[in-house]
Amino acid sequence: MISASTFIAACRRSIVSVAALLALAATPPLWAAQPVLRVLAWPGYAEPEVVQRFELEHQVKVELTVVTSDATLWEKVSAHNHDFDVFAVNTAELQRYIAANLVQPVHAGNIPNTHNQLARFRDLSAIPGLMHNGKAYALPYTYTQMGLIYDRKQFRPPPHSITALWDERYRGKVIAYDGGTHNFSLAAQSLRLDSPFRIAPKDIPRAAERLIELRRNTLGFYTQPEESIQLFMRHGAALMFANYGMQQVQMLKQAGADIAYVIPQEGALAWLDCWSITRDAHDPALAHAWIDHLLDPQASRLLVERQGLSNTMVDDSNGQPNGKPLWLEPPEDTIRREMLWERIRSGDRLTRVLAP
Amino acid sequence: MRFTIAWRLGLVLVMVGLLGTGLTGYFAYQASREQLLKSSEERLLTATQVLMRQVTVALNDVKADVRLIAQHPQAPRILQRSTAGFQALSEENVAKIFEGLMVVHPEYFQMRLIEADNHGMERIRVDRDMGGLLRISGDDLQEKGHYPYVFETLSLPPGSLYVSRATINHETGAHAGEGRPALRVAAPIHDARRNAIGLIVINVDLQGLFAQLAADLPPELKLYLANGRGDYLIHPNPSRSFAFDRGQVARVQDEFPAMAAALNGSQKEESHLVTSNRASDAEPLVAAFGIRTIPDMEGNDAFVLGLSQPLESVLSESKQLASITLGIVLSFSAMTVLLAFFLARAFNRPFYRIVAEIRRFAVDGKIGNLPVNRRDEIGELAHSIQMMEKQIQHQIEDLQTQQEMLDHLASHDSLTGLPNRRMFLDRLQHALARAKRQNEQLLLLFIDLDDFKIINDTHGHGAGDAVLQAVAQRLRALLRESDTAARLGGDEFIILFEGTWDDAQIEQMVHKVQTAMAEPIPYQDIELHSGGSIGYSRFPQDGSTSSTLIAAADQAMYNCKTNGR
Repeated sequence: MISASTFIAACRRSIVSVAALLALAATPPLWAAQPVLRVLAWPGYAEPEVVQRFELEHQVKVELTVVTSDATLWEKVSAHNHDFDVFAVNTAELQRYIAANLVQPVHAGNIPNTHNQLARFRDLSAIPGLMHNGKAYALPYTYTQMGLIYDRKQFRPPPHSITALWDERYRGKVIAYDGGTHNFSLAAQSLRLDSPFRIAPKDIPRAAERLIELRRNTLGFYTQPEESIQLFMRHGAALMFANYGMQQVQMLKQAGADIAYVIPQEGALAWLDCWSITRDAHDPALAHAWIDHLLDPQASRLLVERQGLSNTMVDDSNGQPNGKPLWLEPPEDTIRREMLWERIRSGDRLTRVLAP
Repeated sequence: MRFTIAWRLGLVLVMVGLLGTGLTGYFAYQASREQLLKSSEERLLTATQVLMRQVTVALNDVKADVRLIAQHPQAPRILQRSTAGFQALSEENVAKIFEGLMVVHPEYFQMRLIEADNHGMERIRVDRDMGGLLRISGDDLQEKGHYPYVFETLSLPPGSLYVSRATINHETGAHAGEGRPALRVAAPIHDARRNAIGLIVINVDLQGLFAQLAADLPPELKLYLANGRGDYLIHPNPSRSFAFDRGQVARVQDEFPAMAAALNGSQKEESHLVTSNRASDAEPLVAAFGIRTIPDMEGNDAFVLGLSQPLESVLSESKQLASITLGIVLSFSAMTVLLAFFLARAFNRPFYRIVAEIRRFAVDGKIGNLPVNRRDEIGELAHSIQMMEKQIQHQIEDLQTQQEMLDHLASHDSLTGLPNRRMFLDRLQHALARAKRQNEQLLLLFIDLDDFKIINDTHGHGAGDAVLQAVAQRLRALLRESDTAARLGGDEFIILFEGTWDDAQIEQMVHKVQTAMAEPIPYQDIELHSGGSIGYSRFPQDGSTSSTLIAAADQAMYNCKTNGR
């Protein structure tokens, strides 16, 4: 039995589909119209609402890839340069991107929001690593120090040195970051080498051995902030190297952990992340618009409020403890550091780690 | 062709027929399409459920292997280190078991016995490598204490199991498993005092495992596997698998929005069926997904398993159905048109015949050949028309008879049957006109009965009537066809003779009439005697109009009567 309403609905359906076909024929295809901006960023740098607003304002689609280590970032930008338009990189790392001709100059004049930045971030030539041959290759975005997070119940008094990571009393209660470049710098700090960023070849075996010791002392390694929080909470960790700095402090406090944040006496590695544009960017103007967008009040505020990071607009250390910031510098050989670290992380012993 | 009722009826029939077959076809197609879609969804769902069960079974197999070795008495003995010779033999035996299992299970990447001491040092390790198995030893053994599958497993009570999340294996030196998606299934080894002293780990090749399970699926079915958050682990498009390992996001709920609720909600262990509507970057699919929490899995994670089929291939059957339905609809429509045509004709024919017959009847009044023998409404109509025609015919005949009778009454004397004065005057007029035209003569005899009043008074009106009738009878007998006798009224009669009469002939005729009238008239038992006085006039001698002629004859009769008396 066919009811009248079903029949009418059927007729209406066919009318609608015909109308849809006509409409389809009349309008140009969608994919022809919408450009795509490919962004490489660290966790929390491009919050969904910030991305969404950019997509709306510029009628584009943003393809966001989140990176959690310098090695991954380098691999992506160096091997797939034309697959990305704009990315966030710290000042130390930027050097090798410039040297390898993987980035193009950024024109601050095309980015109106730079006027709102603090003077010390506007003077690009005063920031080491940004300029090359008189041209700026990146614009500062956010920064933090990589200090130590400790459980206040397990640490009395608080740790004061980076060597606390190696303290055997906390074996299996230490959480470290899964990144070769930083970890070698930490090893150099703990060995009191001259510079954490330039380890002499003769000191490499010592540093590697030190990292094997670190591995043996840790519970585990993390790459993402969430992962570190879960590990910390689940296993009642005592100490954690905060690669994401205040970002992790904020998250742990939200999770209810009784923790504190400390800058070790050796000084904390500090990174200043900047936005840079790839050499093969499809639409450099759009990439500039993206940088401008992320320097606007909304994105800058979210960095502080949600991630605990510092932005370049407000001169507020965001509750960061005082201490000597060791602004990251290009290490002596990133590739070697990462290669060695991969072996160390995989569980190799020193002989295997140092094998050619 | 005229647009008759029959044709209109035919047209309506055609329309109804077309509408009927069309709608039946359309809705039958629609219903069958739904049915097809539903049955293929059910098929997909069943296949997904079967696959899900197989996954559980396969995982249980792995777990059984892990547990078997972990609980084997040999395992703690190796870890507790006895004499070197015995140690080597034990390790050899366990490695043999590993190798045996890995031969049977091509989806095992790696089997290991790891000790809790020495930072999670690997003690026995067999890797799968290109084309064979590899016993790893010496410096190639690694410390794994900082990996979750080690420290998590070691924290478990005896008899428990650990299943890692599916991840890409980034451990260097893992041979075939390096850089490949793997699942680690582990069980702790405890000593007599229930201290965890080591563990057994099997690295399961995720793709290999699922490739085996999905091997029997029809080629158009595509397999999806995701973790509890919806991140794809296996996707028909490899660039979407393990996107999270590359810092990107590719999740079930983004491609199949209907899955979002199931993945975000706490109600796991359910099968969900969805149809993807995102035709923007891919062809539309019908997909079935099942979510199952994997027991012992890290973080109580779940697997989302799905199978998809292109909507196109599901609907290809319905396209075939559509063409068959269309064929049926068209042929039935053609049949309807044909049927309507013949029906209209069959309906028209008897009507035309009836109409023709009625027309003919109107012309000649004769009842024709109507289809009265039909036993349907048309037969009834024909029968009624025939009855009506007969009735009309009968009434017309009656009318004619009555008309004739009336005419007769109006022009004749009812008693004697002779023409009356009116008719006589009419005939006289005609005769006068003819006579004038042809120069002929006319003779009028005026007769008045003698003693009629006396007879009436003496013998009654019946006698008078009898006299009048007898006189009329006798006059009629005397006359020729062309002559006219009439009763003018009372006892007066008049006779018109055409043709030329001389005096002798007139005398002879007068005499004849007188003689005839003088004859006695029998009335009941008596004889009545009347007689007549006769006067005559002639045309043209005695007058040229009917009134003058009659008056002249009357006068002559009067003279005669007076003289005769």
